[in-house]
Parts: sequence; structure tokens; C-alpha cells
Amino acid sequence: MTDTESLEEYLAFIRHQDRETGSFLEIAVRPGAAGAAGATGDPAEHPAGESPEGSPPPPPRLPLPLAVKDNIAVRGYRLTCGSSMLENLVSPYTATAVERLERAGARVVGKTNLDEFGMGSATENTPLGRTVNPWNHDFVAGGSSGGSAAAVAQQLVPVALGSDTGGSIRQPAAFCGVYGLKPTYGTVSRYGLVAYASSLEVIGVLGADIGTVARTYRLMSGVDGMDHSSVDPPPDGGSPDPVRTVGVLRGDLGLTPEVARNYAETEQVLQARGYRIKPVELTTLEYVVPAYYTIATAEASANLARYNGVRYGYRPDYAENPEELVRKARSEAFGREVKLRILLGTYVLRSGFQDQYYTQAQKIRTLIRRELEQIYREVDVILMPVFPTQAFPRADAEGAPAFARLDEFQQKVADRFTCTANLAALPALTVPTGLARGLPLGMQLMGPAFSEERLFAVAEDLAREMPIQFPRSSISWPEWRAAGGGS
Amino acid sequence: MYRSFVGLEIHVQLLTQTKIFCGCRAGFGDEPNTNVCPVCMGYPGVLPTLNGEAIEMAYTVARALNCELTPECSFDRKNYFYPDLPKNYQISQYHAPLGRQGYLDLEFRKKKKRVRIHQIHLEEDAGKMIHAGDMSLLDYNRTGTPLLEIVTEPDLEIGEEAEALLQELRRIVRYLGVCDGNMEEGSLRCDANVSVNLEGAGLGSKVEIKNLNSSRFVRKALNFEIERQEEILERGGTVAQETRLWNENRDQSESMRTKESAHDYRYFPEPDLPHFHADAAFLRNVEERQVELPAERRARFQEEWKLSVPQTEFLCDEKETADCFELVLAEEPELDPEMVVTWLAGDVRKQLNRRGWSLTESPLTPPRLAQLLRLLAEGTIHGKIAKQTLELLFEGGRNSSLDPIEIIEEQGWKQIAHRSELEPFILSVIEQHEGAAEQVRQGESKPVGFLMGQVMKATEGRAEPAAAQALLQELLLGAPPAREPRPESRAGSEATAPRRSPRIPTIQVLSFGGAIAGHRREDGLVEPGDLVSLGELFRQDPDLPEQIVFEEIRLGRFLSEEITPADWSALLTRLASTLEERSVQGIVVAHGTDTLAYTAGLVYWFFADTSVPIVLTAGAVPTDEGERGESVANLRRAVQVAAGAEAGIHVVYGGEDFMPVNLRFERIAPSPEGETGSFRTWNPVGLRRRGAALAPTARSVTREVLTAVLESALRRTFVVRVFPGMPGETLIALMDAGIRYFILEIYDTGTANLRETPFSLRKALVRGRERGVSFFCTSQQEGVVDFSGYVTAHELWRNGAIPMGGLTTESAFTRLVAAQVEAALVGAGGSSDSGAGDRGYQSEEEFRERVLHLMT
Repeated sequence: MTDTESLEEYLAFIRHQDRETGSFLEIAVRPGAAGAAGATGDPAEHPAGESPEGSPPPPPRLPLPLAVKDNIAVRGYRLTCGSSMLENLVSPYTATAVERLERAGARVVGKTNLDEFGMGSATENTPLGRTVNPWNHDFVAGGSSGGSAAAVAQQLVPVALGSDTGGSIRQPAAFCGVYGLKPTYGTVSRYGLVAYASSLEVIGVLGADIGTVARTYRLMSGVDGMDHSSVDPPPDGGSPDPVRTVGVLRGDLGLTPEVARNYAETEQVLQARGYRIKPVELTTLEYVVPAYYTIATAEASANLARYNGVRYGYRPDYAENPEELVRKARSEAFGREVKLRILLGTYVLRSGFQDQYYTQAQKIRTLIRRELEQIYREVDVILMPVFPTQAFPRADAEGAPAFARLDEFQQKVADRFTCTANLAALPALTVPTGLARGLPLGMQLMGPAFSEERLFAVAEDLAREMPIQFPRSSISWPEWRAAGGGS
Repeated sequence: MYRSFVGLEIHVQLLTQTKIFCGCRAGFGDEPNTNVCPVCMGYPGVLPTLNGEAIEMAYTVARALNCELTPECSFDRKNYFYPDLPKNYQISQYHAPLGRQGYLDLEFRKKKKRVRIHQIHLEEDAGKMIHAGDMSLLDYNRTGTPLLEIVTEPDLEIGEEAEALLQELRRIVRYLGVCDGNMEEGSLRCDANVSVNLEGAGLGSKVEIKNLNSSRFVRKALNFEIERQEEILERGGTVAQETRLWNENRDQSESMRTKESAHDYRYFPEPDLPHFHADAAFLRNVEERQVELPAERRARFQEEWKLSVPQTEFLCDEKETADCFELVLAEEPELDPEMVVTWLAGDVRKQLNRRGWSLTESPLTPPRLAQLLRLLAEGTIHGKIAKQTLELLFEGGRNSSLDPIEIIEEQGWKQIAHRSELEPFILSVIEQHEGAAEQVRQGESKPVGFLMGQVMKATEGRAEPAAAQALLQELLLGAPPAREPRPESRAGSEATAPRRSPRIPTIQVLSFGGAIAGHRREDGLVEPGDLVSLGELFRQDPDLPEQIVFEEIRLGRFLSEEITPADWSALLTRLASTLEERSVQGIVVAHGTDTLAYTAGLVYWFFADTSVPIVLTAGAVPTDEGERGESVANLRRAVQVAAGAEAGIHVVYGGEDFMPVNLRFERIAPSPEGETGSFRTWNPVGLRRRGAALAPTARSVTREVLTAVLESALRRTFVVRVFPGMPGETLIALMDAGIRYFILEIYDTGTANLRETPFSLRKALVRGRERGVSFFCTSQQEGVVDFSGYVTAHELWRNGAIPMGGLTTESAFTRLVAAQVEAALVGAGGSSDSGAGDRGYQSEEEFRERVLHLMT
């Protein structure tokens, strides 16, 4: 079997298996992509010890198919960001993170759906595609990296890239029951990630296997000349010691009974595996959401200003003058939520109001950081819920229970557990922790800066008791091939 | 009285290889949208990366402008929508700009001022939008070019001063090599803030003026705006805070947006760029990039090389010119610095302008110029050959491989100075002109000049004049003269080859009318005449050099008070051709007394760089009135000075050797000792006989052209002696009559009536400024006009009057005439083959700028 045939077959597998889920906006392998031969994940294609004896060890390889959230640039692929504004934009360049993975052998097989410019918690804020939760199609996959999470849960790809501005990797990972890493801010280059809130967001990984997530992170992290805010993680990850003490939150956290039960259960598993549990208090938790939305929308108001219909993207049919062109392009092509956030961001940055909002939010951000620094003197990681609920019903799913629905405002308030890591620039990892009512559950481990490796270790430990599960509708690529390709 | 406050925001495009936040080429003139990439086009997902060269240049400028350097500076986003701004925000510096609280010392029209720099910050430039019919086109090549914004405090007061600051700043950034300073191409741009208020009331409403893309627009727009605001206040109105746009076609500003519609830029910290730390190594580089700045260099040049203010200003305007000057003198330390300046400002500049090259892109390296000038100074070639050599060198192209000496040898242009080489030519001339030769043998001196001319003709100008003349006289008269020649220049005195023959001084005497050349009629009145033959007059005079060859030329029969532009033209063109021929050792101009101060000034402004003494003298009575009379004594002394004094312009009168400028004719009754003392030098400090010529171009035109240009200059010029109760209207009437340049002789160092009455000069100054009329102020007293002493003086300054310092009215007037003549001829192409008005006579505005430049 030639490589091209293998890839074609793989794409056919994705197309077939993604019909219901709708994780992808584009399924394709572009000729000339940097990835080397055979990225379909057959270990046989890449036997160990390929290099001749005596030569230096070969660079780590990741010969896997890769799905990329459609707000991350890959040359030759569209870069829609889930927006009508960029529906027809083909990226002229590739994000550093993707380029590094391609160099290691990964092969981009498509772009995944998202909330427009990453603004949303359900992958519903987009006119370009409809993504559902693979476990129950009446429920959302989460957002904004819902496409990537669903693709991994549906076993279409072993690993997918997402971006996390306020929980956009971790929340859909939890909703779909997969691993989702939001790395320390700056460890992964943002070059090629379409900016929503630059000081908060980072490219991260969603995966079905913690080892693969870890390898992917290692390959794409490190300082990048194209991103002056990028850094090299310290070699020992900030501390050579393994995690011993796990902090947990006590009291009424506003969780659904299922999530609350799962939080306690996860704590018990960790304790049983020898971790010391220590209650911690996050007094800043209630300020997280307002601070996050102030900073994120302020930055978004500037970051999204570039979409004006002049150089690329949506252009109205007719305009009398350049000003009208810009006005029309923006009012016609941006979605409701995006407009809301731009307006909010513009508002909080107005002269005379900055002190009240933006500056105040930055002060809260500093307080959150300080409080977490304090906490990490006493515990190694914090075990936290990702979201107060499990996946909620899709807005257009008629059969779903009304009580579980969340309106837009509720969805934002519910970001309080995830935004902390973004405001404090810390790494956090969602791990699958079981099922309830037919939908997955997930918890997050948040550590001090650069503690990714230690988070992986805890996740691996936890996986022994709480292994990842896949929805019945899904089927893996080897199984698909063994079954003769969907026939 | 009003006070005006002007602050500038100057944008300096940095000459980096690449753009400020990406790797695209930064430069001007490429095909639209070719120097672009996803980063500078603001594609989704791209990030800025700070260009190290840009930040280093930026700190270099901040350091040079005496700023406090920010140890950790940061970037901010400035948000506004405009199609030429790809991201619709500009990365700039707001919270922590890289430099603060600097200053720039400015000297403008005799007024020294420290202009404070509020801050300096780095930002990215936008693209360009071009409206073409019903289309709008965008070129993003300029997008992301590093731009340095220099913000001054409102320490400036008038347009002319702001223009001067901008020009000095332009020099500084060019000296530092961080910007080409080209305002037409937008490398240097300027916005201004103007606020006018009643004296003592502090700042008024601030009006911002945009689109000032030439230093001239800065001046015009600011003066327009100051006047506009004053008029509003005058009428009891209030000035609206707004942004106005300068319309260069209509010479006025137009409202662009009011305070209510002002942009809210919503600055916030740029999350994509970390703070920049100016560490020790970085600051060391910044320190190493510092150079001697124009102001320091000008001061040093004046001190070290004893050059005049206009000379140093010319040399230090461009760093490469100043560098070249110093390298030439390092190469040939014996060269006369004045000579080097003269060549750089004259023929070299002309060659460069004609080809549009800069000095460094020309084939004229400093060693080559040094070589050429050494050859000239030591007499191997004469001036005309030097010019031709320069021409050939430039014709050889930028990479010409020939040195001047090679060109001269190749062309066979070396001077003929050796006796053996000269003799055949001279013998042949004598043979062909036996009549003239015989006259000389009989003791006539006049034909010597004619015969020399023939020798020059025969040798195609290559005969070394002094050697040829000595040999000519020897061959005709026998005995070689005993006197040592006067050294002609510093280098000349040490010349090795060819050796000069001892020579007899030839003094050219130009009879330029006046009583000295006249005679008394029977009724006792003096009438014009011809100067009596000096050969006759001074025959066997024991105080004069033993043998002087007099070359006497009559330029006119008139009295001093009857001088016309044509007379001046005749004198000036005659002096020019004599000096060009280099055939005399000195020139005497016999002149009338009354207008001597004027002609002396004019001669100085034209020929300050003379290589021989030019001596003006006069006498109130004809020479035929007694051998020991005043006129004869003055003439004798003048001849002595012409034969033996230093090169330069001399005015000999009553036994004294005066400076050519600031000569005041103050006839005093003869003292008991018989001394007459009719002249006195005002403000003598710092005056010189030699220096840079103000009007080098004007020397090379024909007499007719010069006459025409002089006439038109004199028609535009007027001297007004201010008197109590003088109606300002009079000046306006003069403007209506075509006067464009006034010498305003005010009472003292800066006083004139500017109170709001019909007798105020203010209205005339304001109207004049609107109409492009200039006022140059001199004092009725022996005072130095600098406008520093009085409120009214400051008001004069604010209204654009120009102080002439210590210059007398006569000197300022002749300078003004010379400046206009030069400006007209430079504007006309400047060469001898084209007259004024022939071609390229630019606007009155440009003409005036050139005049102002030559006047200040």
C-alpha cells in the first residue's frame, strides 16, 4: 500500500465517521505539507532504531495524523476561525506549533470546528459547521475547541490542537471525555494562532492518550523567534520532585450533583494512590470571570479590528467609500457574540473608564497570581472541576431536558474554574474521570508554571483507575481498516 | 499683545534594513505591495517581533536629544480604524516611551533657545491610501516601517522658528545615520500644536495641524494658524479645540475634526511584545553610535578653522560635506581652509547638483579633492584648469578610476612655468606685436597687460601668469626685478615645483568715477572725469615698490552719487574676470566717497574669497588738486595695500585700512592736524576682510545679465528709516508698489512702534508676511539688533522681522542685493550661459527662501 493510498483511505475514514459529529470544517491532506511519509500512526511504518548505529539519536518523531483547530494557521488550508468574515481565507503560512509537529512527522488531516474566533463554550457560535457531542448528539461538544475534542473522542485522530483562552481546550475535553492540556503561557508559540485575547491564550493539545498528549506538547513547546512572548520551559519543569500534595477546594462550588460527586470520587482515587490531599481556599474565584471578560474583550476589540474587508476575508458587494466598506464588512460578517465582545472590549477601554474596568481587572489578575503563588507553597497541584456541569444540551436539540440548558450568561459565569489558569498563566490539564447519565466527566489538574511534566505524571497515575472511554458510535482507525473500511 | 505656543510632533522614519516588526524590506520606491508579508499585512494569527536595529536607532536619537533613557520601555496599542492601517491599531509607546525630558538647543535669528523634548517613542508606520477617481488604492509597502515620534514641549513661537527646529532635527537624524530626512518622500513628517493667548494668560485652546510634509508648510501653516487664532481672539471670540488639515494648494488650513469627534485611541499595553530592557551592552552600543552633532561641529569649525557662520553652516549642513572638508585638510594640512570651503560650496556643489549625486556617491573622494586643490595652490594648474579637471573627473562616472593628477597629465594641462618652455611662446608674441612691445620698451606700462593676454591666448591659458609676466618684462626690459613675490596662499608659499620667477607686481586700477577721477570746473564745481594716469602720478614715488605695472581701466565717468545698477554690474563683472585670469597681484578701485560704503559692502559680498587684495579708495577732490592732496594720498596708500597687503577687501581712506563692511561715512570736520577721518567702522568685533563669497554664482554671468538682475533686485528693495509717527500704511503702500525686501532701520537694538494704533508697524508686518515680504532690521545707532532686550523687540521677532545683528544699514542692504542676485541666478540654473528668467525660475516663494537663507 502506498502512502498516498493510505492517506486517502484515512481521509475517507474521517469523512465517514464525522458525518454525524461534525468535528471538521475541512478534511484534507495538502500536498507539500512538511510531514514525512505515513502519518497514519502505524507503528510498523516506523520501526524503532531506524538510524544507523553510531549516529546521534534521531529527533523525536510523532508520526500521527493531526487535527488542527481552525483558528490555527496551516499553509494551504483555510483559516476560517468559524467566522463568515474569514470563510474563504486560505492561510499563506503555518503556525510554529504545527510546523514543529509536521517536522516531527505529524500530518495535518483537517481543520476542526470552533466558536467564532474562539468566543463561546459550545461550538454553537458559528455559521460554518455544526458539531455535536459524540456521546449524545443532543448535547454540545463544548467550546470553543469543540471540534478538536469531538474528533478525538470520536477516535478520528489520536491528537488534535486547540487553543485555550479561558478554558476552550479543557472544557470541551471534559465534555467529550478526553485529555486536554492548556500549557503554561508562552511555552508554546502563539505564532499562527489567530488572536482573540493575546495575553491569556495558548495553543494546547487534546488527545486520547496522556502519553501522546505529553509527546505532542514536548515537540511543539519552546522558544520561537516569531513570538517574543514565547519561552523555553526550564528543563526540570520548575521542580524535580514528583507531585505529593494535591490541593482541593471545599464548600459550595455551585456544581451539579454529578460533577460534585465525581470531584469527591476523583479526590478519593488520588488519595488511594498515595497523594496527600489538602484543602485550599481560592478567595479570588468569584472575581475571575469579570476580570477575565474585561481583559479578554479589551484585547479582542483590538485583535479583531483587523478584519475590515480590505485585504482579505469577507467583502461586501458594494460600498461608497472605504469607511462604508469597513462598516458593512464588520456588521455583515461578524456573529452576534463576537460583536458583543468587541463592543464590551471597546467600552472597557474608553478613556476615562479604563481605571474602572481594564486597570481594575489587571489588579485582580495580579491578586490571583499572588494567591496562587501562595497556595503552591503548600500544595504541588490543585485538583479542580473544569465546569460546574457536564455537557449541556444543544440550543436546537428539542429532545434535551430543559433543566440542563445554560443560557449565554450562565455559560460565561460557569467559566470560573477554567479562567483562573489563563489569568495566572499556569498550566492545567483536563483528565477524563468517568461517565454519568451517558455523558463524560472530567476534572482539571492545575499546577505552577512549567509543571506540565508533573501534571502528566499525575494523569498517568489516575488513568490506571479512571481510564479513558470512547462512545459506542466511535471506531478506531485500525478497527476501521480491519473491518474493511466502513463497508 | 499675544503669546503663541507651538509644539511639534515629528515623525522620523528609521533607515533600518527591515521593518519594525517583521522581516520585510523597509524602503521607498518599490512596486506597490511587494514588500509585504502576513505580519505587516495584519493577517490573522501573526505576531510582531521587535527589530533590534530599530530600537537601537531610537535610543540613539533619544540620547542625542539629551533625553532620559527609559531603562525598561514598553509598547502599547493605539486603536483607530483606517484602511491603510492593517491591524486597525498601531503598535506605539504610551505608558513607557523610550525617552523623556530631553532638549535641543536652537539658535534662530540671533535668538538662543532650549526647546524641550517631551518624549520620544517608537511606533510602526501605516500604509498609503491613494484616491484615484472613484477608486481608493492601498499600498502597504510602508506599513510597519519603524517610525520615531519626537514630541516637543510648546516652546516654539512662530513658524519660522519651528521650521528651523525641524531643519536642525533633520540634520541631527541624518548625522546619526538613522533617517534620510527626505520630507517629500515622507521620511520626515510633522504635525504641530498651536495655541495663542493673551500675554501672561498661559496656554489657550490647542489646535492640531496635520499634513505638514515640508518645512515650508510648517512655517506657512503655523503662521497662518497663529494669525487665525489672534484674529479670533481680537474679535472677542474663542478658539475651538480641533484638528486642522493644511491645504497646500490653498495655503490655508481647514477643519478636519472637532474636539467632540476626536479619536479615543483606547491605549492599552501590547500583549504580544515583552518590555524592552536597555541593558548595559545595549546602552554601550547606543553610546558608540553618538557622533559630533551639527551644532557642536559648527561651533568647532568656527573656532578651529576660523570660518564664518555661513561657511560653517554650509559645511555642517551635511555630515558628508563636513567630513570631506576635514579629510581634505587632514590630507593636505597646508591648504587654506577658506579655499576648501569655496570649492566645496562652489564648483563641487555645482557638479553634484547637476548630476543629483551626493558627495559620497561621487567620484570626488576627499584625497582627490585634496590633490586637486594642492595642485591649484602650488600653481601646477590654475583655476580654470582645476574646474575642467573636476568636470572630467565627474564625467568619468561614479566609479571613475582617474585621479586629478592623472587627468591633468593625460590632458596636458600642467601650467607652463619653466623659462625654457615659456620663452618660445613669449618671443613669438613679441614678434607678432612689435608695436606694443616697443611701447613697453619706451616705458609704457599699459601694453604689458595686452601682451600678457596674448601669451595666455597662445598657451591656451596654461602659462603661469607671474612667471610669464616676469619673463616678458625681462625679455623686453632686461633686468630681472629684485623683489620677492608676496605669497599668494599658504600652500603657494611652499610650492616646490614649478618655482615661480620673481615678478613685478601688476596692480590693476579701476577708475570707477567719483571726484577722485573728476576735475574742478572753472566755476569751482567738480564734474566727472577720467582718473589721471597713475603711472604719471606716481612716477618715481619713493614709497611705492620700485616697479609697478599699472593696468588702468576706466569703468565710467560719473560722480559717486550717480551710480546705477549698470555701473555696479560693470565693476563686478570686471573684478570677476580679472580675478579669474589671475594676472594681477592687486586691484585698486578708485571710487567716490559718498557711496563708498555701499560699493565696498557689495564687493565684499561678491568677492570675500578673493585671492588678492581688492582695495577701494576715494577722495573728495580731484587728484589734480595738488600732489599731496587727500585723493592722491589715498590712492598712493591704496596702491601700496594692493601690492603688499593680505588678500581680502580693503577700504583705504585717510591713511586707514578699513574693513569692507560696517563702514559708516561720517564726515567729520578736519582736525587741527589736518586729519579728515570721514569713515568709521561700526561694531568692529568679528569683522573680516575675507570669507565665503555670498554670491559666487552671480560672478560668472555676463555684464548684461548681471545688470538686469541687479535692477530687478533694486526695484524690489527699500530702506526705511523708522521715525516717530511713521504710519504703518506707508509700508503697505510700498508693498503695493512692488517692494518685497525691506531694510527696516529701527531706533536701536529692537525698538519700533507695535502698539495697536495707525502708527503701528504691526499691521504692515502681518500683511507683509502674508504677501511674502521680508523685513531685515538694522539699527539707527551703533547697536547690535538681536531682539532680545525689549517686549517690542520680541514682538518684531514674533511677526517675522529678521534681526541683522551688528550689520549697518549699508552692509545689510548690499548683502540683501547680493543675496537676491545670487538667488535669482542660482534659481535660473546658475551658469554663465543662462540669464535670469531663462529657465527654471521657480516661484517667488522659493526665491525668497533662498534669499532668506543667504541673509541669515
